[in-house]
Amino acid sequence: MSTPTPPGGQRTLQKRRQAQSVKEKQQKQTPASTRQAGFGGSSNSVLKLYTDEANGLRVDPLVVLFLAVGFIFSVVALHVVAKVTGKLF
Amino acid sequence: MAKSNNQIEKLAEAPVEFVKDGTAFIQKCKKPSNRDFLQIVRAVGIGFVAVGIIGYAIKLVHIPIRYLIV
Amino acid sequence: MAGFRLIELAKPFLPLLPEVEVPYEKIGFDDKVVYTIIAALIYLFGQFPLAGVSKEASGVLDPLYFLRSVFAAEPKTLLEFGVFPVVSSALIMQVLAGLKLIKVNFKIRQDRELFQTCTKLFALLQYLVLANVFIFSGYYGTDLSVVQITALNVQLVVAGFFVTLLVEVIDKGYGFASGAMAITTVTISTNFVADVFGVGQFPVDNEGHTEPQGAFINLIQSLRASHKTWTGAIVGAFNRDYLPNLTTAFLVLALAASICFLTNFRLELPIRSTRTRGVNNVYPIRLFYVGSLSVLFAYVILFYIHVGAFVLVQLIAHNNPSSIIYKVVGGYASHNNLLYVPQFPLSLLTPPKSFVECITRQPLTPLFFTTFLVITGIWFAGLWQQISGSSARDISEQFKEQGITLTGRREQGVTKELDKIVPVAATTGAIVLGLLVACGELLGLKGKGASIIVGVSGGFALLELITAEYQQSGGQSALAQVLGAPSGGI
Repeated sequence: MSTPTPPGGQRTLQKRRQAQSVKEKQQKQTPASTRQAGFGGSSNSVLKLYTDEANGLRVDPLVVLFLAVGFIFSVVALHVVAKVTGKLF
Repeated sequence: MAKSNNQIEKLAEAPVEFVKDGTAFIQKCKKPSNRDFLQIVRAVGIGFVAVGIIGYAIKLVHIPIRYLIV
Repeated sequence: MAGFRLIELAKPFLPLLPEVEVPYEKIGFDDKVVYTIIAALIYLFGQFPLAGVSKEASGVLDPLYFLRSVFAAEPKTLLEFGVFPVVSSALIMQVLAGLKLIKVNFKIRQDRELFQTCTKLFALLQYLVLANVFIFSGYYGTDLSVVQITALNVQLVVAGFFVTLLVEVIDKGYGFASGAMAITTVTISTNFVADVFGVGQFPVDNEGHTEPQGAFINLIQSLRASHKTWTGAIVGAFNRDYLPNLTTAFLVLALAASICFLTNFRLELPIRSTRTRGVNNVYPIRLFYVGSLSVLFAYVILFYIHVGAFVLVQLIAHNNPSSIIYKVVGGYASHNNLLYVPQFPLSLLTPPKSFVECITRQPLTPLFFTTFLVITGIWFAGLWQQISGSSARDISEQFKEQGITLTGRREQGVTKELDKIVPVAATTGAIVLGLLVACGELLGLKGKGASIIVGVSGGFALLELITAEYQQSGGQSALAQVLGAPSGGI
């Protein structure tokens, strides 16, 4: 390591290196994805979409599962109604 | 982004080198032995078919419902 | 943060969109298994016929048949578009953010929330747009009444909405890893079982004979049937093209086996601890570094191209052979009254229905289709390994945190060394996968080749996470005890 000390730079090699690593950190301050920022999310081979809690309408997962089943049965019911009355559509 | 531009340039310049790198990589790779491979195939096969059968059981429920409503 | 940012658009919707709660405490291994399976089964149950589709056979047939199974979509059901909008919105938003075309600062919590909401909104918007494209193309029947149009819209969009929520339930930590991938893997395996062992009977001729869906069941049933000779039964079982046949089943199995083989190609880099002496280990870099995502991305692009063409040809030109659009883009020819087969030049990006047809009728397709898959794969893999938080720099940072370094390298040299390996692995893997998919598809698997590849390699990615989690939970799983020994150990 025979690099000359830049004028106004840090005197010792170690300090210069530290300054460099700070610079590096600043350079990549804007990560490209949630995982790169260190908050989970899609990785190299796994697609993970919704991982953060947003301040929306919070629902319990069980409610989601039950509502989904309920929705499917309402479509079944729609079929039945359409068949019985025969003129809904 | 300079890096990816660089990569694209490299791609345009030397697809030959690209292929060379790739084959070199594959050659350096550790390949599963026959025994490993059989084990993996068995594990994946059993898992895949088991999940498939559970799923198909659900789809079987559809058949009578479809019959009733159509 | 000067100027306009796309993610700000999501702000007014933030309080309106339902959000699955993040679990308060860590979900146990067994609960995760149950949640994942139940969510996937609900999805499967949702492949239920749409109400309000007109009874008369419509002249407009399914133009996307070869793309459906990759995205777990079933025609004329609630899941007409499957998880496509969810997957495509996630991939595209992430790619745009990675290319810095959308300005997001992932370090700020609010930005992440907005980005996520934006992705979700984009998915819902795609469900709405696709639904209406299909409704107005006449796919569900011509002359639909207002009631029918409304009913179809509501069904398709609400179903899409529930798909995003089901995916979210798994993603938020109630299930394993990725909702979209778990759901597609389960659906693909179900389709495979249905194609081989399915017992549902379908009418095949006017004399009232039926044949089962499953290829294997069909072979047995045909051998026992009185109206067929033995040779006829065997030839039929391997050759029928209206329902799954045994040839396809074997091809699919061969593809699955080759994926099992290739997934385990890895470069093992020797690593050692910087803290304690003599602790040596290996860090594997997989050949399929980006897994099946490169194939998924290529199929997302294919889907957009084909939907775009469908809009042009069917909605605007009404598939009229004399119109200019038909001549420029290519039109659709109906096949067996089931499928809409794209014609030249659109057929260049359409896998053929069989190998013979590929050679006789679309000789240019192999070249175009393969090149398309490989090029999109390379581009995506090169980008994704950089932006997904698993680039050479990210790995070397992890090493630094854990006090690991590559044997024979100084800590500073690790990034450089990895940078020589990771992008090559990602792109080479994408090429190999692209070629495999092309191989399968050109033999006439009609999307089953691509889907088994996505399914098996997605299954591998999940299996890895599941085994890791199983070991973390210390093997305290009632389910594993019920099922006997832990079947993992890969």
